[in-house]
Amino acid sequence: MKKVLIICGTGVATSTVVAAKVRDHLAAQGIEADVSQGKVMDLMGPAPEVDLIVATTEVPATLGVPVVRALPLLTGIGEDAALAEIVSALS
Amino acid sequence: MESILGPISGYLTGLGPSVVLPVLITIFGLILGLKLGKSFRAGVTIGIGFIGINLVIGLLGGQVGPAATAMAEGLGVNLDVVDVGWPSSAAIAFGSAIGAMIIPLGLLVNVILLVTGLTRTFDIDLWNYWHSALIGALVAAVTESFLLGLLSAAVHLALVLAFADLTAPIVQKYFQLPEISFPHGTSAPYGLLAIPLNRLFDAIPGLNRLDATPAAIQKRFGMFGESLMMGLVLGLLIGIFGYGFDDPAADSTAILTLAISLAAAMFLLPRMVAILMEGLMPISEAARTFVQKRFPGRTFYIGLDSAVAVGQPSVIATSLILVPVTLLIAVALAPAGNRVLPLVDLATIPFVVAVMVPIFRGNIVRSVIGGGILIGAGLFVATWIAPTFTQVAVASGFALEEGQTTISSIVDGANPLTAVFFAAARLGVPGVLGAALLSLGAVFAIRVAMARRDRAAAAEAAAGSQEPSA
Repeated sequence: MKKVLIICGTGVATSTVVAAKVRDHLAAQGIEADVSQGKVMDLMGPAPEVDLIVATTEVPATLGVPVVRALPLLTGIGEDAALAEIVSALS
Repeated sequence: MESILGPISGYLTGLGPSVVLPVLITIFGLILGLKLGKSFRAGVTIGIGFIGINLVIGLLGGQVGPAATAMAEGLGVNLDVVDVGWPSSAAIAFGSAIGAMIIPLGLLVNVILLVTGLTRTFDIDLWNYWHSALIGALVAAVTESFLLGLLSAAVHLALVLAFADLTAPIVQKYFQLPEISFPHGTSAPYGLLAIPLNRLFDAIPGLNRLDATPAAIQKRFGMFGESLMMGLVLGLLIGIFGYGFDDPAADSTAILTLAISLAAAMFLLPRMVAILMEGLMPISEAARTFVQKRFPGRTFYIGLDSAVAVGQPSVIATSLILVPVTLLIAVALAPAGNRVLPLVDLATIPFVVAVMVPIFRGNIVRSVIGGGILIGAGLFVATWIAPTFTQVAVASGFALEEGQTTISSIVDGANPLTAVFFAAARLGVPGVLGAALLSLGAVFAIRVAMARRDRAAAAEAAAGSQEPSA
């Protein structure tokens, strides 16, 4: 199973919105994934062991994990493209 | 009328927000066009979030409160007000009588401001209405008037939306977030205060050349970012200072229990709020569609939570340094009257500085000094409002025995706008009405400034397009 980590400033606010959309979309596409949430400050330590990071804010460039910007999932502008990018990053 | 309303309101208060809000949210959802099942599920989820937050606040109050009091007595550092942080503040705000009304009120205020052209931000993050609800609840508690509380909440929201408009160009350019603004009760007021501070720093010789690189700071201060470790270390320190080590068996038990409890509280609180947020999300989405469908074609700034800016390296670096600095400031200011022990909101400092950093042009030295000054001043505000804050929390159904533990919060308790509205409430009806008029004046002034800025931008664009031919 693929692991997706949703990152925002608190690990609570915007990441909850994005996590719900990613979960729904992946389920609709038949992709099994473990979607969890975290805050960007937690990324200051060792890099997380996940397949993909979806972040509503800027994350360190040195993580070695693919990152998708999640802003479109908050504003609704360019949402489909962002979801497609997430799917292609996981397959 | 009064004789019927009295028992009803008493009954509702007895039920508490974990029962009342699920019902209210279900009704809002239906009005906004959600299906009953989805609406009801959202409501129940919010109720569950409340129960969860209540459990963790109980843990904080029960474990940390007595230790902080013991530390105050043992060390002579009188920091006995527990900082329960923004997760608790949000729950307390939504659980208040003002909080029950804040979603329809907030939408109404935002739509009126957009239609009249007074502000141009549409806040799609209904969650953040809690900042205004908290202001309203504090004002209502002081003035004992629900209407004045409601008025203050509405005015606060209008101000925050205007501030968001004002800082939008800087935010959009610095964070590369086109069309976005931050109508966020925490970051927006601090951003406004950063503007004069930045002018002041420009005038101080030497200071205008100092800066630091984010990468080096992230490496050195990284440990201050993780709530789990922070909670553990803070718990150990408070425990050692509070309980001493006269009786190794009993004291070590108390100290270690406190450390793991504080780590648990700081780790669990955001998780619990995430549940609340999850419940509110379908309502927020429905409201957004509702408004966008009725006002198509208008160009708005899309108002978001400043959480999307917090990852910017200079914001993180500034916040990491400010964590130990805030603790030191709190201790240093204790003799001067600060009583707030910074705890949960140490993890929320990024939101205090999120809009300040772009105004300081990403300069970390300036951001740390500016942030330190404002947080230091804010601690006195947080101390000042603590009794009322605790009273509001108890009224919202949170498990605190009044008189035993006093709570407050750094992020919204120490906020400059909180200070303004609280001071106004203390002056009674004329104070609240005066503050409302002044605030509306500020909204107008910002509108005028925005129009001037638009004309300047248009003139510049016109001049730019003529240049090649000249």
